[in-house]
Amino acid sequence: MDASTISAGALVRLQELNPSSPNFNQGASFRVIGKLQEYDLGTAVAIIVDGDASLKVDTQYLTLNLRPGSLYQFIGELQIEPNNEGILKARVGRNVDGLDINLYHQTMQLVRHFQAEQADIRTS
Amino acid sequence: MDLYNTHVKLLAFDFLSLTPTRSDPSCFQRKGLRLSRAESIGVVVTRELKPGKFLRFTIDDGTGCIPCVLWLNQLTSSYFSRRSPSSVRSIARSALHFASEIQLGVVVRVRGRITGYRGTVQITVSDVALETDPNAQVLHWLDCVRLARRCYDKFSIIRV
Repeated sequence: MDASTISAGALVRLQELNPSSPNFNQGASFRVIGKLQEYDLGTAVAIIVDGDASLKVDTQYLTLNLRPGSLYQFIGELQIEPNNEGILKARVGRNVDGLDINLYHQTMQLVRHFQAEQADIRTS
Repeated sequence: MDLYNTHVKLLAFDFLSLTPTRSDPSCFQRKGLRLSRAESIGVVVTRELKPGKFLRFTIDDGTGCIPCVLWLNQLTSSYFSRRSPSSVRSIARSALHFASEIQLGVVVRVRGRITGYRGTVQITVSDVALETDPNAQVLHWLDCVRLARRCYDKFSIIRV
């Protein structure tokens, strides 16, 4: 893939990828983290969960050993299916067991604030 | 405060906003602060190998994608002709080792010079380390924000 055409996977929580969220855009790139709840070997579709939110992830292009109960991170593009459900077409993924998930979520918020702060400085 | 020879830790969106200085287009600046080296951590999301020449790759840190280039032409490039053959071979071996570590989906820490290519800022890589601890990315984000607020912004000539 040409490096100039690739978009960074925006940091989001699974709760922010529901149909009513402004993030819910066809083709948008995201980086997601969740615990693997189930995995269908036939379709290569995994379901990851974070609290009360869940997301389907298409892992067909990944060579990753997926173990239910482990924490995974995926980067890919959101595809919105005809029933308005989202599925992430993962380009890359990795096992992140051992991640301090609370620190991850807090730091994600900090990074967003920092980005907004820097954008304000640059436009003022 | 001079950070010109320091590997500054920048989030990708911050790194990608660096611009060449007016006096010297091979040198870059962040809000007036002259920089030449950077360090970043991210997921390798693209990889293009030209054996014997270079490895181009991109690292995604969640805020942007940083283009990187790792030169693999030490044994044939005239740039290294004045150095001792044994040190050139050693540099070439290191570069090949780094190239083998850089695979799609892994998280790497890269350090190198800030250079420009076709109007885009990139890192010409001198050092690569595989980061297997999933917390490494988070700690890097924290470092970047802390350093920007407490150090880099304070010493820029554009007052913030």
